[in-house]
Amino acid sequence: MENEEEELIEETITDNDEDKELPEFDGEDISREVVVPGEVLTEDTKNFLPGRGTIFNKERNKIISLNIGLKQINKNYINVIPLKGFYTPRAGDKVIALVTDKNPVKYRCDINAKDEGVLKPRNTVKRGKTRGFRGGGSESADNSTDKYQIGDILIVKVLSADRLNQPELTTVGQYLGKRRDGIVISIDPPKIPRVIGRNGSMIKMLKNLTKSNIFVTQNGRIWLKGENIAYERLLIDAIKKIEREAHTVGLTDRITKYIDNEKKIRGIN
Amino acid sequence: MPLIIKDEYPEKLFREDGKRLDGREKHELRPIKMEVGVLKNADGSAYLEWGNNKIFAAVYGPRDVHPHYLAKPDKGILRVFYRMATFSVFERKRPAPGRREKEISMVLTDCLEPLLFLELYPGNSFEVFINVMNADGGTRCACATVAALALADAGVPMRSLVTAVAVGKIDGELVTDLSGIEDKAGEADLPCAITWFNEEFDGKMDLEEFEKCLTLAKNALTKIHEIQLNVLKNKYIAIQEEYSGGKN
Repeated sequence: MENEEEELIEETITDNDEDKELPEFDGEDISREVVVPGEVLTEDTKNFLPGRGTIFNKERNKIISLNIGLKQINKNYINVIPLKGFYTPRAGDKVIALVTDKNPVKYRCDINAKDEGVLKPRNTVKRGKTRGFRGGGSESADNSTDKYQIGDILIVKVLSADRLNQPELTTVGQYLGKRRDGIVISIDPPKIPRVIGRNGSMIKMLKNLTKSNIFVTQNGRIWLKGENIAYERLLIDAIKKIEREAHTVGLTDRITKYIDNEKKIRGIN
Repeated sequence: MPLIIKDEYPEKLFREDGKRLDGREKHELRPIKMEVGVLKNADGSAYLEWGNNKIFAAVYGPRDVHPHYLAKPDKGILRVFYRMATFSVFERKRPAPGRREKEISMVLTDCLEPLLFLELYPGNSFEVFINVMNADGGTRCACATVAALALADAGVPMRSLVTAVAVGKIDGELVTDLSGIEDKAGEADLPCAITWFNEEFDGKMDLEEFEKCLTLAKNALTKIHEIQLNVLKNKYIAIQEEYSGGKN
């Protein structure tokens, strides 16, 4: 039973739908002006309101930036898109987790956030199917933490998260579950939207050119598996390049050229 | 046989041509060099060379608090660790943190805390580790400056940066940015930190001089702040410029 599930995941992973790119990193309508904390973005407080990453000063006559990032004006809101930062879990995010500890009641997972995620065994098995008249399924499967081991890499979804409690996770759902192969790399979480690209353009390009499977998650971790090690290496280099140049214009074209070039140099077709 | 050197200070702190001992004008700053993102394992880091001061700062967070009883249920905490290397001063400094280090750590915490939105991270902590590799007067000011840079580099939301400089009185005259000798032999020393959240003072000055000092400090701080901004921005602008040329 478990094996069937695993295979299903492997099949579907090839055409996983890309997460939508957050609108803020859209190429054209964003200025490439770098701002730093405390910098005055505008003194025109009648026409503009502080959006993400910005705040009024005490006298409410200026809007100042809170992060190091790119200034962006969206209608009458002024936003600052951070260039560096940490991941804050939100309900619905798909993230890659590492099982760091387990006890009979729950697993603890490192999800690259300030708190450890909690995965309860009842969130690791599908419910409703085996329960019923016949068989009824074993109750113990529901309530034991035998399914995963410490050190396992899981793709999980965040069920609930707030700033006081530990985020709760689940492995029930499409694409979710344990990963037995592949490589996980991590980059700066704010730069994840750039790896996905507008409407998933970047990730499609990466997949086609390097013939690999990629699963990008919001906490800055990327699962990837290629045909052979050469492709995987090329892909990792390309992603590191995207991370470094996330705030520049014309990134997708440049990465395409880069990969084509590197292929010739490294002798992969 | 140990080398015994007397703690001697020069009688005059000004040269005959009116300049200071190291050849600076009265209100001239020592050369400043800053860099961000120097340490790979820290979330954010910065390096500062201010005259002979050489300082590293590393920021971690938000993360769990150890020991756990320090955690506050309603807000996060900021912890600053100011340490001097044993080789940072002329005589070997004992490595254990002493009274002075704890005090400066506290002052720096008070200086940086109002900038952060700690209420967003209950039960967590931000930690700033500052290591003075070479000390030559005014390290606490330099530390505030470099700690703010490291925090900004880590991507921690901040209200503004902190910039600090010392103004003081030597041989009866007001000067900016005191060096080690001037600090010890001079009459007064007033480290000032903008964004005007915290001011520290010990020495002998009257009120007028104090006011004057503050204006002097403000002038100097504007210059340093500009360097800070440029350093932070250049990390990213340099990469932008690398490719903008090819595009146009």
